[in-house]
Amino acid sequence: MLQAHSLLWHYLWVAPNVLLLVLAGLIWRRKLRKQFPVFLFFAVALAIEQLTIYVVDVIPSVGPFLFWRIAWIGLLVEALIKFALIGEIFVRVFGLYPSLAKLGKFLINGVGVALVLLATMAAAYTPKDNTFWIVSGAHILEQTIYLIECGLLLALFVLVGYFKLRWSRSAFGIALGLGISACVHLATWALMANGNFPAHYRIFLIFLNMATYHVCVLIWFYYLLVPERSTAASAVLVPAHNLEVWNRELERLIQL
Amino acid sequence: MNLAIILVVAATVALGIILRLAVTRNLQARDNSGLVATIRPIDVEAFRNLINPAEDDYLRQRLPPPRFRVVRRERLRAMAAYVQVAANNAAVLVRIGQAALASADPRVLGAAQQVVNEALLLRRNTTVALARIYLALAWPNSGFAAVRVVDRYEQLSGAAMLLGRLQNPTVPVRLSALL
Repeated sequence: MLQAHSLLWHYLWVAPNVLLLVLAGLIWRRKLRKQFPVFLFFAVALAIEQLTIYVVDVIPSVGPFLFWRIAWIGLLVEALIKFALIGEIFVRVFGLYPSLAKLGKFLINGVGVALVLLATMAAAYTPKDNTFWIVSGAHILEQTIYLIECGLLLALFVLVGYFKLRWSRSAFGIALGLGISACVHLATWALMANGNFPAHYRIFLIFLNMATYHVCVLIWFYYLLVPERSTAASAVLVPAHNLEVWNRELERLIQL
Repeated sequence: MNLAIILVVAATVALGIILRLAVTRNLQARDNSGLVATIRPIDVEAFRNLINPAEDDYLRQRLPPPRFRVVRRERLRAMAAYVQVAANNAAVLVRIGQAALASADPRVLGAAQQVVNEALLLRRNTTVALARIYLALAWPNSGFAAVRVVDRYEQLSGAAMLLGRLQNPTVPVRLSALL
C-alpha cells in the first residue's frame, strides 16, 4: 500500500491537484477572484505543475535528468508564487489597520531577510544526500523554501494573535492551509535532505507530504467555499461601570 | 543529522503554535462574553508620577547610588506592571472595537474604527515600552520615559468613552458636562 506507484500513491498525487483545479474553477465562477487573485493563480499553477511532474514521472520514456530539470523549474516557480501569496495575505490582513500597516511591513521585511539568511546557512551546512547534484540540490532547495515559508507564516500568525486582529475567513483558511503544509514539508524535507535517512523510510515521508497537501486542499475548499455561519453580530457594549472608571481617570487628568 | 533534528523540532513547534492560534481565533470569534470584565482600570495619575523624570532626578540626588539603583528597579517593575495592564486593556479594546465594526450606525462605526486604531497603537507602544523597561532594569541609571504610553492611553480612553456613549446613549457621561 505505502509504495511508490501504488494506487494510494497515484490517488494522493493526482486527486488534490484535480481538486485544486476544481476549486480554482469554482472561485472563478463565484466571482471570488478579486478577493485573492494571487491565490487563484497559485491554485492553477500549482496544480498544473504537480500534474506535469506526475505525468513526467509515470511516462517511462522520460529520463531521470529531464524529470529533475522539470522538478527544479516547478520548484522555483512554485516558490515565487507562494511568496507572492503570503505577501497578498499580509496586505489583506494588515491593510485593514492603518495604524499597523507600516509596522507590519517593516516586521515582515525584517523577518523575511532573517529567514533568508537562516535558510542559506542551513543549506550550506546540509550534507549532500545523493551523488547527483541535481537530486540533492532539489532536496536542499525544498528545505530552503519551506524554511522561509514556514517562518513567514509563523510570523504572520504570531503578529495577528498578538495584536488580536481579525482575519477574514478566506485569508485565515489560505494561511492555515499554507502554514500546516509548510511546517510538515519543512520537517520531512529536512529529514530527507540531511543524508543518511534510510531509503525505505523515505517513502513514508513522501506519503506524509502527499496526505498533508491533500488535507490542506480540503481546508482551502472549506474556508473559501463554505459560507461562514451567521453568528449574531456580538457587539460588546462598553458597560457603565467602566465608563465611570474612565470618567474618573480623565477627570483627574483634566484637573491636573 | 543534527541540523535535521533542529529543523524537525522547529517545524513541530511552529505547527503547534499555528494550530493553537487557529483554535484560539475560532474560540474568540464565538465567545465575546466576559470580555469587558477583563478590563482593569489604571490610575493614570499614579502612572504619570511613576514615569516622571523629575521624580527620578530627585531620588538620584537624595539617595546614595546603591540605594537609588534598588529604588529605581522597584519603580521600573511597578512601571512594567502598569504598562502590562495597559497592553491587556488595549487588546481587549481591539476586540470590543472590532465587534462594534459590524454596526450599521455610521457614528458607532467611526467610533469603533477609532478605538481599534488607538488600541493597536497603544499595544504597539506598550510592547516597545516594556522592552525598554526591561533594558532599563539592567541599567537602572539610564534614562527612560513612557510618556507616549500614557498619552496614547488617554486617547484610547477618550475613544472608548465615545464608543460606549454611542452604544449606551442612556448612560449619563459626566465628562461631557466637564467639557
